[in-house]
Amino acid sequence: MIAQLPIVSMVMLLGMALIIPLFKRRNFSVTTSLGFVVLLAVWVLTLLVLWHVRVEGPMTYRFGNYEAFLGIELYIDLFAVLFVFFILSLIMVIYVYSTGDATEGVAEKEYGRYYILLFILLFAMLGIIYTNDLFNTYVFMEILSITTVSIISIKRKKENYTASFRYVMLNEIGSLSYLFGVALLYMVTGYTNIGLVAESIGQHWTAYPANATTAIGFMVVGVGIKSAVFPFHVWLPDAHSTAPSSSSAILSAIVVKVYILIMIKVLFRVFGLSVLDVIPVSTLLIAVAATGMIMGSMFAMAQTDIKRMLGYSSVAQVGYIVMGIGLISVLGLQAALFHVVSHALMKAALFLSVGAIIYKKKIRKVSEFNGMGFEMPVAMVVFTIAALGMIGVPMTTGFISKLNLGLAALDGGQAVLVFVLIVSGFLNALYYLPIIINAFLKDNPSQIRVMRVEKIPKTMLGPLVVLGALIVYFGLFPGVLIRVLEAVAASLL
Amino acid sequence: MFKRNKTVCDHPQLKQRSVIGRFTVVSTVLVLFSIAFVGLFIAGVHGDIGVFEWVREVAVLRAVYRFIYELRALPLLIIGLPFLGSVAMLWFGRNSCNGRDSIVIAMTSLTILLTVFTYPHALEGGFAYSIPGVFGLGLSFNVDMLGFTMLMVTSVIWFLVMVYAHEYMKKEFNCNRFFFFMGITYGAVLGTIVAGDLLTLFLFFEIMTFASYILVIHGQKEDSYHAGYSYIFMGIIGGFAILVAMLLLYFTVGDLAFDSAIAALSQHGSARYWIIGLLIFGFGIKAGMAPVHVWLPRAHPVAPTPASALLSGIMIKLGAYGILRIAVSYYFPPVGTDGGDALWLTSQTIGSAVIWIGIVTMAIGVFLALQQANIKRMLAYHSISQMGYIVMGIGVAMYLGHIGAMGYAGAIYHIINHALFKSLLFMVAGVVFYHTGESDMYKLGGLWRKLPLTATVCLIASLGIAGIPLFNGFISKTILHHGIVEAYQYGHPTFFYAELIFIVISAGTVASFIKLFYYVFLRKMPARYRRITPEYNNLDTAMAMMALIIVYIGLNPRFVLDTFIIPQFDTLAYSADFVQTYVVGLTFFTAADLWLMLGIVVFGFIIFIGGKRWHLFHLKLPYWMSVEYFVFYPMNWIIKNACRLMYGDECKYNDETITKLRLKDNKDIGFLDRFKIMATVFNTRFEKRIIRSDAFIYTVFVTGVLLMMLVMRLV
Repeated sequence: MIAQLPIVSMVMLLGMALIIPLFKRRNFSVTTSLGFVVLLAVWVLTLLVLWHVRVEGPMTYRFGNYEAFLGIELYIDLFAVLFVFFILSLIMVIYVYSTGDATEGVAEKEYGRYYILLFILLFAMLGIIYTNDLFNTYVFMEILSITTVSIISIKRKKENYTASFRYVMLNEIGSLSYLFGVALLYMVTGYTNIGLVAESIGQHWTAYPANATTAIGFMVVGVGIKSAVFPFHVWLPDAHSTAPSSSSAILSAIVVKVYILIMIKVLFRVFGLSVLDVIPVSTLLIAVAATGMIMGSMFAMAQTDIKRMLGYSSVAQVGYIVMGIGLISVLGLQAALFHVVSHALMKAALFLSVGAIIYKKKIRKVSEFNGMGFEMPVAMVVFTIAALGMIGVPMTTGFISKLNLGLAALDGGQAVLVFVLIVSGFLNALYYLPIIINAFLKDNPSQIRVMRVEKIPKTMLGPLVVLGALIVYFGLFPGVLIRVLEAVAASLL
Repeated sequence: MFKRNKTVCDHPQLKQRSVIGRFTVVSTVLVLFSIAFVGLFIAGVHGDIGVFEWVREVAVLRAVYRFIYELRALPLLIIGLPFLGSVAMLWFGRNSCNGRDSIVIAMTSLTILLTVFTYPHALEGGFAYSIPGVFGLGLSFNVDMLGFTMLMVTSVIWFLVMVYAHEYMKKEFNCNRFFFFMGITYGAVLGTIVAGDLLTLFLFFEIMTFASYILVIHGQKEDSYHAGYSYIFMGIIGGFAILVAMLLLYFTVGDLAFDSAIAALSQHGSARYWIIGLLIFGFGIKAGMAPVHVWLPRAHPVAPTPASALLSGIMIKLGAYGILRIAVSYYFPPVGTDGGDALWLTSQTIGSAVIWIGIVTMAIGVFLALQQANIKRMLAYHSISQMGYIVMGIGVAMYLGHIGAMGYAGAIYHIINHALFKSLLFMVAGVVFYHTGESDMYKLGGLWRKLPLTATVCLIASLGIAGIPLFNGFISKTILHHGIVEAYQYGHPTFFYAELIFIVISAGTVASFIKLFYYVFLRKMPARYRRITPEYNNLDTAMAMMALIIVYIGLNPRFVLDTFIIPQFDTLAYSADFVQTYVVGLTFFTAADLWLMLGIVVFGFIIFIGGKRWHLFHLKLPYWMSVEYFVFYPMNWIIKNACRLMYGDECKYNDETITKLRLKDNKDIGFLDRFKIMATVFNTRFEKRIIRSDAFIYTVFVTGVLLMMLVMRLV
């Protein structure tokens, strides 16, 4: 019974997406509240599953009771449920915000479409995480990227179209690379079910080294494109900066991470340590990650548009995560997973607070932030907390990430990476701190001089505060999260 | 909340009161009471006077004493009090300046009282408290005698400076913000001191960096931002250095508590040198150690006086405290064991480097201080130089291994003394500025007639810093001198030159303060200052109290030594015999020391007269000799040519931002700015290209990856 809950929740999300058009005539708040109820229901279901999995261990669900090698399987383990739970919680916060933000820049009659896309997006992400089938993953990946493209181009402007076109082209290349890798694996093993592939690969891959190597290369690169790992980041800044703020937050904080979870699944579930020890994936990932950590920050430093800057900052942060994965150790994976959570919180907070500022003040330029701390104190304080987290100041999740990643790097005997981490953190300081300083300490002559809470909808203010508090909370008491993630990492390796 | 650019306080400097204000009277009484309480308590614990017998007879007092004594969370309470006080202060300070300052002063005096109660525990060896779970590793606090000493110095000086700040800040804007962040900084400083492991220390150290940034740029002028920029970014670099060291240490030792880790560290080749090197670098930035002192002479003068008094008096000491703490805990063998030479080896190697770093810091500081016209800038350079003494002391403490107790005692003693007289000197500079609006010493003069009390305390502090007998500086400098002499007697003979430099620098300090006193207080008074009317207020209370403490220590050198320093040796691995013979048996005011001091004073006078005669105080050093230029020149050169590298001859130097790259002067545009501009150049040149060549990147990358994997697999 419990094993059916994931598929039920996915169907609920899909159903919600489908019934939104029926409420076209009603007041729009009906749609949004119904959506929230569905989200909440799914969240509760996932919580149940999480509790069950934590106590009873992983379980599988088969569609139509076909055998594993024929049918599609959902594998519901701690890794999957934990991240689904996290994604749902974060989406709920962002969802509440998005109702206040009124999807800035979107025509009123298109609100419904935005929420339809949002629910399909969520459906696809759940599918990707739960599914235990390589080809099925590809299908969900396609759904996810097409939905993402539609969300990016929901504002009918020229730059949105360019950005989404670039996104769709590159991501298609990525998907196809991934598919090619799956095909190569199918050639060797004859399965697409992850469990069976892994079993078969472990036994037979030495007979087909070229196949396995090519497959791993294509799959990692394919997923790498979609998760904006450094040299393939080119689609990200445009896409994330032109999308509406709440969806930028979803894209940067969650969607990119989902692809990273696929990468983790592919590397550790499908191939496993025996293959990874021989094929030099680790070197590759670490090299790419280290370059990305520095170059992402370098590009971010030069941006004048704040949302582009945040986009490039994501590129650097993805580098941190990939570095943790590339270390191929429990510590490294745990640090990477922690940073998935931590970066999702921080980046969501950054995009939402900037979104609030754009919503209220209609400014996007970094240079126009002078004195913003006095006009929009809540948004700016949350921005500050998240930005300090990015730098790695204690009492934020970013610090814990740095600590874990640094320890994992030392444990892997890669002391140089600690240096890269620190340099990257310093570069972050170099572009985040001036914004904070200008916002709180410099004057903008045309401003009121007394600090008071800004007048933006409460539904926008609340999520901001929640995110800021979560960043600090997990920065102070990461213990529980770290222990759970350690169990997850140990189960993956 | 914060009201910006609008002071809540009225501006009372326009109307001169003839009687002493009520606030002044109350705070003066409080100051006297607090100091008396500290004295009585310590005397009581020592058993010098029977205060405790009296306390024991009164049931209420006894209950209160037992309650606080048994409160395990006392260290946390000490840290928490300033944080709470800051919030309370914002609330009470909405409308009234005095209300806010009452909270501030009450909070700081209460901290002194609480601090005093840690003394019995500290004397017994430590007072540990921990909060598990925070950061995953847990925070721990421990007050031992070293911590207690620092707490005592900090809380007393902070209290006095806050009393001073009440009056001084009436002339400044944004007082609420200032006092709020002052409180946060205070909490962070106390936290740094009572930290029981490196992680806790790092946490509070970072809070201190960020909170005190607001104090540095309080003036919100162009040069404050400039100074603040160096301050915060160097602070962050220092923080990162400590973080890396912490990671290495945790990785090699598996524990961050302040216990001897040298046995474990010795097995890991070069890691132990990296760890201590990074820690010395990180803490050294805050301590104003050469060559990473560059932020200090910029940041200290621009901050409002109470902030610069505390920056120079307390905060830079925390850098030294950090070095000392890690050196004596991690790098010393466990207490009670001799350790053998093998375990001391690391500490000795590092120690010799630290001694020379200290000497260089001293020399640079004094030399540049002599060239300054701005009083606060001159004092800032002296802070660097005096930190050099302390760092040198720490170096000796490490270098001589188990007989390095003299260096240790000297470093601690000088931390105490320098905290006292440097805060006092900054306060004097503040008072002069408060009354005249001028901080260029060549434009001042003859102020002793108008500000007799200020002149007196300035004289006392100057005599202290110059190391004249009967004032506190003499004591610590003598101990440090003994330390450096021992370094070449028991160690390497080259430290003889270190001693020589030490003496010359002491003479330079004397000359510098003769100069300060002469130009500011003696000479003929410029006509525009004739209308200054002195009045007695909190400024004078705080300064007078500080001066009294200086004189007291100068006259009773054994008090600090016996009460604060000698008990610390119980928890250190120093040879007990050596401590007993040389440190406990130390006699002050011996003929040799006095003669040496006389020589130094005479030499100082000669420097002063010679300098004045031949205008040596206005030497402008060629720019290439400054540290910034020296360190950053190669990098700046590369960055300057970055544009040409990227664009070839078509470099858009006429573009407004890029033009700045060409500037030669580091003062106008620092390294970080240049770096940012370079990133912009890079971005405009390559960003679009990279974005457009997406398919190309993909092809190249995939082919490359596959080739690499196949080749590596097949080979």
